[in-house]
Order: sequence, then C-alpha cells, then structure tokens
Amino acid sequence: MFFRQILSNTKKNRKDNGLFFATLIIAIVAFYTLLSLESQDVMRFLNTIESDAVRKLMLLVPLIYVVSLFFVFFLVYFAYRYQMENRRKEFGLYLMLGMKRSRLFLMLICETVLNSILSILAGIPIALLLTESISLATARLVGLGIIGHQFTVSLNAVLGTIGGFFLVQLAAMLILSFRFCRMEPAALLRPETETVQKTVSGKRGFFVFFCGVICLIAAYIMGIFLLNTFRFTLTLLILICGIIGTFLLYRGLGAFIGQIIQKHKAKKTGLYTFTGRQIQESVLHQHTSLAVSSLLLLLALACISFGIGMGVGSTGSERRICDFSLMGLDEDVNAFLNKEEIQNMTETCYPMYLDKYHMDTKLSLTGITQALEKVPQSSLRDNMIESISSKDEWQDITLISQSSFNSLLRSIGEEELVLEKDQVAFYSRISADSPEFVQIMEAALQTGAYVEQTDGQTTRRFEVLPRMYYNNIVADRAITLYMALIVPDELYFEWIPEPDTPFCWNLCLDEDLIQNQGLLQAILQMDERLSASGLEYDSYLGGIGRTLFYTVTSSYLSIYLGVLFLLIANMVLILKYLIWQKKNRRRYLTLLMLGAEKEELSRSMASQIHLYYLLVLSVAACNAIFAIWSMFTSFMRLPAGASIQLVIALAIAAFICFILVELVYISIVQHKSRRDILSLHVAEWTEN
Amino acid sequence: MNTNRILQVQNITKIYGKGVNQTTALSGISFDVLEVEFLGIMCGSGSGKTTLLNCISTMLKPTTGKILLNGDDISSFKGKSLANYRGNKIGYLYQSFELLDNLTARENIILPLSLHGVSNQNAEKALSSLAMHLDITDVLDKFPSQMSGGQKQRTAAARAFISDPDIVLADEPTGALDSKNAWVLLDKLSTLNREENKTIVMVTHDANAASYCSRILFIQDGTIFHELRKNTKNETPAMFYERIMTVIAQLGGGSANVL
Repeated sequence: MFFRQILSNTKKNRKDNGLFFATLIIAIVAFYTLLSLESQDVMRFLNTIESDAVRKLMLLVPLIYVVSLFFVFFLVYFAYRYQMENRRKEFGLYLMLGMKRSRLFLMLICETVLNSILSILAGIPIALLLTESISLATARLVGLGIIGHQFTVSLNAVLGTIGGFFLVQLAAMLILSFRFCRMEPAALLRPETETVQKTVSGKRGFFVFFCGVICLIAAYIMGIFLLNTFRFTLTLLILICGIIGTFLLYRGLGAFIGQIIQKHKAKKTGLYTFTGRQIQESVLHQHTSLAVSSLLLLLALACISFGIGMGVGSTGSERRICDFSLMGLDEDVNAFLNKEEIQNMTETCYPMYLDKYHMDTKLSLTGITQALEKVPQSSLRDNMIESISSKDEWQDITLISQSSFNSLLRSIGEEELVLEKDQVAFYSRISADSPEFVQIMEAALQTGAYVEQTDGQTTRRFEVLPRMYYNNIVADRAITLYMALIVPDELYFEWIPEPDTPFCWNLCLDEDLIQNQGLLQAILQMDERLSASGLEYDSYLGGIGRTLFYTVTSSYLSIYLGVLFLLIANMVLILKYLIWQKKNRRRYLTLLMLGAEKEELSRSMASQIHLYYLLVLSVAACNAIFAIWSMFTSFMRLPAGASIQLVIALAIAAFICFILVELVYISIVQHKSRRDILSLHVAEWTEN
Repeated sequence: MNTNRILQVQNITKIYGKGVNQTTALSGISFDVLEVEFLGIMCGSGSGKTTLLNCISTMLKPTTGKILLNGDDISSFKGKSLANYRGNKIGYLYQSFELLDNLTARENIILPLSLHGVSNQNAEKALSSLAMHLDITDVLDKFPSQMSGGQKQRTAAARAFISDPDIVLADEPTGALDSKNAWVLLDKLSTLNREENKTIVMVTHDANAASYCSRILFIQDGTIFHELRKNTKNETPAMFYERIMTVIAQLGGGSANVL
C-alpha cells in the first residue's frame, strides 16, 4: 500500500510538474556532458599524442564537477521546494490522518529515489545523444574527420553522473523534508499566505540603493581604467565592489519602486498600483535571490564571451602556415621529399632561408626608432624604442630572404611581397599577439623609416616598407623572432656567409589528403613517416596544435560553465517567481471578487513577469557590458590576426541566443501563470 | 419607511451532488431586501448561510429560483456586466478582512474604483469622507500588517462602501474581532446605514451583532424559519437583543415553539 502510494504520487508529480522534471534532466545532462569529456573523439585522439596535456586538463574536470554540483544543488533545491509547496496541504492531511512524521519523511525520500531513477533513465539517453553530437561536431571542426568516430558510453561518466545527481537530490530533499516534516499539521493545511509585509523606510532604502550604485560605478571605473593587466588584488577588489554593489542595489530597489508608484498612482487606474506593489514586494522579499540570479547571469555572459574570445582568438591568429618544418642536411631532406609516397602526400615544400647578419659593417636601426618617436607617446611605444635601440648596432640581426618569404605567402594564398633593390620589410613575430604593436609600428613605418649600413666611410640607406609582417615562418609556434628584416635575395646572398643552407624546409600537406582524412589524421600519417626517416622536424600539432588544444578546451569548458550558469539562473528565477505567485493566489481571488476581470489579471501578471525579468536582466546586462569590456582590455586581448568583425558578429549571435533563451523562459512563466489565473474560481474564496 | 426592493431572492434552491449523493443546501428561500435596510441573517452551522451568500454574490448559481438586483436577474450577468456587478453593485465585508497586504489602506480602499477606471485623484473625495466615518484617517498610508484587527476590518468596510454599491454583504464581519472592536465596527456600520442610507445584509450567528440590525431572518435547514423586526423608534439594541435571544432559545425546539 505504502509503495503503491509512492508510485502514484511520483506519477502525479511528473504529470503536474513538467518544469520540475525538466530541471532534473538538465542536471543529469550537465553532469554527463562534463564527465564524458575524456571520451570525446578529439580528446581520445589527443590523448594518443599529447597525453600530458590531456592529463592536465582531466585534473581540471573534477574541480569543475564540484563547482557544477554546488550550483546544480540550488537548481534541484528550488525545483523540489516549488513542488513541495504545492503539496503542503497533502502533507498536512497525511499527518492529520495519523501518519507518523518518520513515515512521511520516508515516503518523501522514497519518492525522491524513484524520481531520480526515472530522471536518470530519461536523462542519460538525452545526455548521450548530446555528447555524441558535440563529439562529432568538434571532430569535424578541428579536422579529425568522422571516420574514426566511435560510439562510446563512458561508464565512469555515467557513474559520476548518477552519484552526483543522487547526492545533490538527496541533500536538497533531506533539507526540505526535514523542514516540512517538522511543521505542525495546521500550518501545513493552511495555504501558505504571503509573508508579513516588509517595509523599508524611504530614506534608508534610497541610501542603500545609492550605495549600491556607487559600488557598481567604482567597480566599472576600476575595471576599465585601472585593470590593464591581470592583477589579483585589484581583480578581487573589483569583484567585491561589484558583488556588494549588486546586492545593495537590489536591497534598496524596493524603496525606489515604492517612490515611483507613489508618484504616478494618482492618475493611474486599473491594476497599476497593484502591479507596482507586487513588483515592489517581490524585490523586498527576494532581493537576495534577485541579486544571485543577476550575478549568475553576469557570470554566464562573461564565461560565454570568454569562451568565444578564446575560440576566435585561437582560430584567428594561429592560421596554419605549414604542417611540418624539416631540419637537416639538404641531401637527407631531398631524399625524403623525393619519395613518391611523400610527394603524393605533399602540396608544396619550400626552403626557408633565414640567418643572422654577419658583416663587419654595422646595420643601424636608428631610422626605425626615429620614426617611432614621431608616433604619439605611449608606454608600449617607449618599450619598442628601447628594445629596438638595444638591438641597434647589433651585427647579428636576423634576415629573411624575400623569395622564401614569398613562397610562404603564396602557400597561404596571400599577396606576394615586392621589394626594390634598396628596400627591406620589417618582420616581428611578437606582434601577432598584440594589435597595438602592429598599429604603432605601421604608423611609424608610414612616416618613412629606414635602415642604414655603415662601414665608416660609405653609408647605404634602405627604405623600410610601410607595412609590417608577422606570419609565423615555421610550423612550430615555439620559435619566435622578436625582430627581423625581410631583404631582397641579392642582399641576402651578399650579407649571409652561407646563403645556400636553408634554416628549414616548410612542408604543406596535400589538400585532398586533408579533405579526405581530416587534418589531424593526415598530420599523424606524415608524422609516422617522418619519425621513421630520422629527420629532425617540428609539426603544426606539436606547436600551434598544442596551443589550439588548450584554447579550444578552455573555451569549451568556459562555454559549458556559462550555459550551466545561464540555465541555473533562469531556473532559480522561474521557480522563485512561481513559488511566490502561488502564495499570491488569494490576492487574485480577492481582486476577482472586487470586480477585476481575468484578462485584466492576466495582463497585470504578464507585466509583473516582464518587470521582474527586466530588473534582473538589465542589471546583469549592464554589469556584463563593463565586465566583458574590462576583460577584453586587460588580461584577455584579442590577437592581431583575429577578425574583430567575426568577434562582434559572434558576440551579437551569442547575445541574440541569450535573449531568445530568456524569451523562452519568460514565455514559460507567462504561460504557466496565465493558466493559474484562468483556473481561478471565485468559489474558492469561501474555502479556508 | 422606504419600501423599494433592492434585492429579491425568489424561491431559490441549491442542491449539491447527483442521485443518491444529493445534498440540499437551500430548499426554496424567498425574501426581499429593502432599500436602506440593515438586514441580519441568523443561522446555525450547516443551515445554508454560506450557500445563500455565495448565490447572492454570484459565486454559485442556484439550482432553481432567481435573484434580482434592482429587477435584473443576476444569473444573466456575464463578462463585463458580471465584473461590474461584483465591483460596483455589491460590496463585501468578510470575517478575515481579505485586504491585499502589499497595498496600503488607501490603495486597498480605492482598488474597486481603480478597477472600474476611476483615477485615484477622483476617488479621493469619497475616500476621505468614508475614512472619517470609519475613523481610519490616521492609518490610510499604513500597510495591513501595521494595523490592528479593528482598523483592518474598518478599512475593509471602507473598501466595501467606496464604490457606493447598491448593497453590502457582510459575512460574520465581527468574527475575528474582540468585543470592543466588534462594537465599534457595528456602530459604524449602523451609522452608515442610518445617516448615509447604505443597504447592508449581514450574516451572523452572534446575537449581539444581530441586535444592530433593523430586521433579522432566521434560517434553519435551508428555509426561512422566522423573522424579527426591530421597532426602530422605541427599541434599543439591548431590548432587541432580548427578543433575539428568546428566538434562539426556542430554535432548538423546532418551529412549533416559535411565537
């Protein structure tokens, strides 16, 4: 009998409360998506070549898992609380009919376990479907190809999901059951009426509100003007200011709304005052959860933009120049390259000539520093002048031959560099990570920079082209040239003692091979042959690929956390709102009795929902604008190659998605509330 | 005395359930409420008081019979006219006050007017006169949680009277009040009835409260069982109370004992 009752209760709950059930499933999907990261195609592949990096990343996963557990706990807690508030009368009746408290407690726990099992049965397949699609999509995106795709069910992830889910559910349920079972039957049977009206004196409210605004403005100013690089204490101070500011803002907002109602109510009719007072009350009673939701949304927006920035940054700047750089004696390299199999796999292969300047005559860069001095002063410009001056008079500045640099430009489809006899071009790899560097240098070069070769009597002057170059010249990003000059071949052969020996051979894989096999597979095949040949080489995967791996995974994880925060913030908002609305049922009945129409009530309810969301979203959006602004101007700079249009387009797309998600949530709440209003019947008035 | 009939309850019956589960709550009640009357309806528990009140306030439809307000059948009201009836033609006063506790007293009182498109500015005149009559001028800007029970009920009374309804239904208005506050409220209601010509129908089982009425109907088992009229010129509430108590004492013995 007892178990039959548990069965029928859970069935009824699922039917009545789709939202609650959806919350549980979201929690499961969130856990599994994170925990199954290791078994994703890309991860499994990288594990074979970069096991160290993958291992380090996997150490991060448990930490994020604990963070998710913490947040999902709140999600589940509010979902259960909403459900139990709906059933309090039922619990009261059980107690009145003689059910022992311990038995009621046991019944609730059994229901939780049953609900959990059912949610897991429904949630795990959804989670599998989702992770498999993510796995396929990322595999395709990074060029792994879908041939190697394996359908995997990670047992560890399933166990971790079930464990975490049960833990969170039981913790939430134990707290709630304990609370409800301790209540007197009379208190349970009485519908929970609105809590005692809280009133905040106008002056105190305004004071708190303005304190909040000042804290927020202080955080904004510090974030934008002072946070140039990541500094722990300053960042902490900004965070504390921002968090306290948001809490104080919501704490004092009630008084502010009260003032607005007082000001306008004289001329308004209908439910204007009621709607305003409802909003004011929700702010007064729920200022903490409003602030928490708003901060969670801010966190979500920040995480998602960080993820997008990282993703775009990595794809934008790290353009693939070549797949391998081979080093070694010419004859060994040529022997390898001439093999038919290798030729079939190769699109192009060109020698890269670069070496240090080895002449007795001095090569002076004063012309470049002088040009830099004409540019408006900034700390970066001064740094540049200082470091170039220190190289001045150096006789071992690196030179790159024009023809090999042009081969590189040709292979990536860019326009070739044209140099006259007395012209050189400025090259710096450092500028790939700093758009300001490029900006300042090009501004300086446009004023007419030059390089001079002096041997005491004669001086040869070479004009520096107004455009600078920063493409990576080898497959591995680890080799970084701070500064070099691209010179015409005649000069290169004149100035370099052994001009016939290339620094390395850059090899680009056949496009068809990449198309058919996927980039990573193709690289892996060539890698096998190269390591068998005994040649010394660097591969794209070993350098840029590794960085790409870190950036892609960190952007994946931050987007994951962002989406999780977004879901949780919205769920908390919805459930808090619906719980509160439930308590207000009697008010709507009173209004019906006083002659309000249901449509009018429905409209008032819709305005309340819109205003309620607006209060949370506007503060979150305002905070997010400043947070993201200061993030991108401080520790997260977009690399020079990253297209700003792409970032903006992605940011707009992400923002539209965010708005759409919010609209979906708003319409869910609105729909549910409207149904509640339409189900009101004046006859309920006399009950209780 | 004015003999205009504001409300006519014509032979209404209300039967709940079907077949063998039928329960008769009202079995053919008829009475009229005259203009400027303070009518009391006294009944014991389960005698159909709530059903009768619910029928008058359109919360329930009677199984048979009609209820006419100024000659209009209230069961024909729908949509706007129903909302208008609830908000403008009838005022309510309930035992548990039913004030919205997130609105101030002033906002609660003018709510019925706001709902019918009267701006708060225009409602101010009616509000200040009622607040003075009911002695709640000082608490107009307070929230219900900051008021005493008596003040809350008088605020609820002001809300019931603000739209100048044809009739005010009061359901055990003194039920949640101590005797002093109950006395103050009844005195105010009675003054409003006499001086401002308001029509009030009050359901109560408290003989003391009923003694403020000008006429009392006794209902038992779904039918009208007895009627008492107060001699408004000579009879004090105390004397009327004596008569009421006599009827109540005899109620236990059935209709044969009533004179």
